[in-house]
Amino acid sequence: MAKKRGRGMAAVNYPTGMNLGGDPSQALVHATTTGSFIVTLSSVDLGQGLKTVMAQICAETLGVPTENVIIDTADTDTGPHCMGTFASRGTHRIGNAIIMAAKEAKSVMLEVAAEELEVDSGDLQTDGAGNIHVKGSPQKSISVFNTALAAHFKHGKTISGRGIFLQPRSYPEPETGKMTPATCYAHACTVAEVEVDTETGEVRVLSLKSAYEVGRALNPRMVEQQIIGGAWMGLSHALYETTEPYYPDRSHGPVDFNQYLMPGPGDLPEFENVVIERPAADGPYGAKGVGEMTANSPIPAIANAIFDAVGVRVDSLPITPEKVLRGIQALNARAPY
Amino acid sequence: MSVMLEAARQIRLVPALQAKGAMIVAGGTLAVAELNYGQGADGTLIILDRLGLDRIAVVGKKATFGAMVTMAEIARDRRLKFLHPVCNSIGGPAVRAMATIGGNLFAPAPYGDMAASLLALDAEITIHDGKSAKKYPIEVFFRQRKKLERCLVVSVSFTLPASGSFRYSKAVRRKPVSASVVTIAALLPRRGGKVVGARIALGAMGSHAIRAYKAEAALEGRSLDSATIAAAAAQIAEDASPADDAYASAWYRRQVVPIHLARLLAA
Amino acid sequence: MTKVAVQFTLNDEEQNEFVDSGSTLLAVLRGKLGLYSTKAGCHQGSCGACTVIIDGEPRLSCLTLAQRCTGRMITTIEGLTRDGALHPLQQAFMEGFAAQCGFCTPGMILAAKSLLDRNQSPSRDDVIDAISGNICRCTGYEPIIAAVLAAAEQMRAEMKKSA
Repeated sequence: MAKKRGRGMAAVNYPTGMNLGGDPSQALVHATTTGSFIVTLSSVDLGQGLKTVMAQICAETLGVPTENVIIDTADTDTGPHCMGTFASRGTHRIGNAIIMAAKEAKSVMLEVAAEELEVDSGDLQTDGAGNIHVKGSPQKSISVFNTALAAHFKHGKTISGRGIFLQPRSYPEPETGKMTPATCYAHACTVAEVEVDTETGEVRVLSLKSAYEVGRALNPRMVEQQIIGGAWMGLSHALYETTEPYYPDRSHGPVDFNQYLMPGPGDLPEFENVVIERPAADGPYGAKGVGEMTANSPIPAIANAIFDAVGVRVDSLPITPEKVLRGIQALNARAPY
Repeated sequence: MSVMLEAARQIRLVPALQAKGAMIVAGGTLAVAELNYGQGADGTLIILDRLGLDRIAVVGKKATFGAMVTMAEIARDRRLKFLHPVCNSIGGPAVRAMATIGGNLFAPAPYGDMAASLLALDAEITIHDGKSAKKYPIEVFFRQRKKLERCLVVSVSFTLPASGSFRYSKAVRRKPVSASVVTIAALLPRRGGKVVGARIALGAMGSHAIRAYKAEAALEGRSLDSATIAAAAAQIAEDASPADDAYASAWYRRQVVPIHLARLLAA
Repeated sequence: MTKVAVQFTLNDEEQNEFVDSGSTLLAVLRGKLGLYSTKAGCHQGSCGACTVIIDGEPRLSCLTLAQRCTGRMITTIEGLTRDGALHPLQQAFMEGFAAQCGFCTPGMILAAKSLLDRNQSPSRDDVIDAISGNICRCTGYEPIIAAVLAAAEQMRAEMKKSA
């Protein structure tokens, strides 16, 4: 019984967002009576954590606690304009729209606070804990709560703002085909280590170690979880998933989750990830998208690791034990020991 | 869709209900799934919960299981430790809590790992045909399985194997559990270090569990040295007729069953 | 449609309902009792999203006929929170970022709970076995395993304190 180990590597550049239609998204921010903030969107939190990160971005821009920001989204009857949640566009497009809206809301908020404190609004700053005070004189302050009440009951102002992200669509130059469909790219590199059972063709992925450059990890734990979940999905695509196990024959296509093979909790490799930040000039606080790319580089890394382990190059997915075993047998037939 | 449930009160009345088109629900892993997808009986399901078929009895060396005993119940029984790896390879904990030993006898390939183990253990299946209870050696049961779907499996019994003589392996496509690529259950009694009366059963190598007679013959009267193991491995797939499915092809199953057998025997 | 009476204890409260004959427990929980946290995934028992606890064992409610539940004690995820306080498993999933879309989460937590009810010091392999029937598409399972082990440690510490 022989088990052979191998190591393989792959890298990916992944554009954030898409080119069509200018990739627009709109955000509206307003304060409630007592100074909590609502962000109105049409983008969807599928579980990737959009609502969390958008609340962070809004709170950071306004200078208020994140807990005081509520994201109100995904009502197609009433929501503002948005292209949707896909193409790893959420953080970048909607984040930028929120920053624009929150900046406008903040300027109104500071105007009202300035009137209440009888100072110039340029002399004011927020403390991130729910207060607004004069720079250098923290005792001269007013709470966001009271600022909102003053705006709504005294000054007749709405603490609100509007934002939209839209970029000019890029068209290819007719002579050269050159175009700029994306303004920023995230990057990743994955090293996979595998162990191949040379008698059965079974592949065990020992580790998936990756470096990700994401502009800015606005929520580091969520970025880490996206990388791990994506690495699992990459492993799944590399070694398990197919709707046509006997392609191009369509027989025995899986009809349930038992037959549609995916790795189980007993198939997990060791995950190790490093996140690097090179802020994007046009990203919200420098952030780029990191949604879909996490399933990409693990796949060729695993294929390359199998080649390194046993010299078998499989160029169709999934790389099943049968494909590996046939490859090993073919190699042995050519050069028997 | 509204379906009638009938809780059978007497074993001997069940086959008549089946003859009228009613479908037995044992654990429910197969029957209720079919029901959820609009397939199944002409509206009547027979529930067996009141027939007292859920007991495990060990008297001397003989173990008897009511047909409704679940994999989880066997896995909790300390007298049956040698069967625990089999039980724990059949689905996750929630499936094991409902999958029954009787139901496993009818599970189609690539399921039926307990059935393969029972074949290695030379089990006896007690069936009621509506008139009387009849006992079938498990191999006879498998040959007549289609016909016997109209009867009620009441119990399964076998003689407890000598300690250490039962071995089991299941090659899976996904860990820790999936349906089988290849299941091997082997009973290898020894006398003076030599194998006597080996029984090797294979799952997922045919439409039901099968004996590997030629591999057994290669072991008979010999010790488990590497030459003997190699001889048995060479013969293991002789009478098998594996199928292609979503887990593995027939070709792959034939390639790896000798490997898995050799590893099981060498362990 | 024939209706039949079913009676069982659900999250410590007795339930008496008339349901369509042949209903699954899943259909009764969601359709009759308005408890939507138990999810309908595959209706075939292969995804585990419908997992509940019946008489201490994890069970697939999509394959469980409601009529066979008479007299049984059933726990759904709604029954884990006591007086507004989250169960340590729920807390650990939250703190461990072990939920993304959340569809598998109720089933995962109940599968883990039935493990911890029997085994207060599970190994990683014990946890893997406990969740082996629950499919997750988002997390890659790793944070879920970590959350279950963290909850087990938390619960052991609490037991020591109250001992």
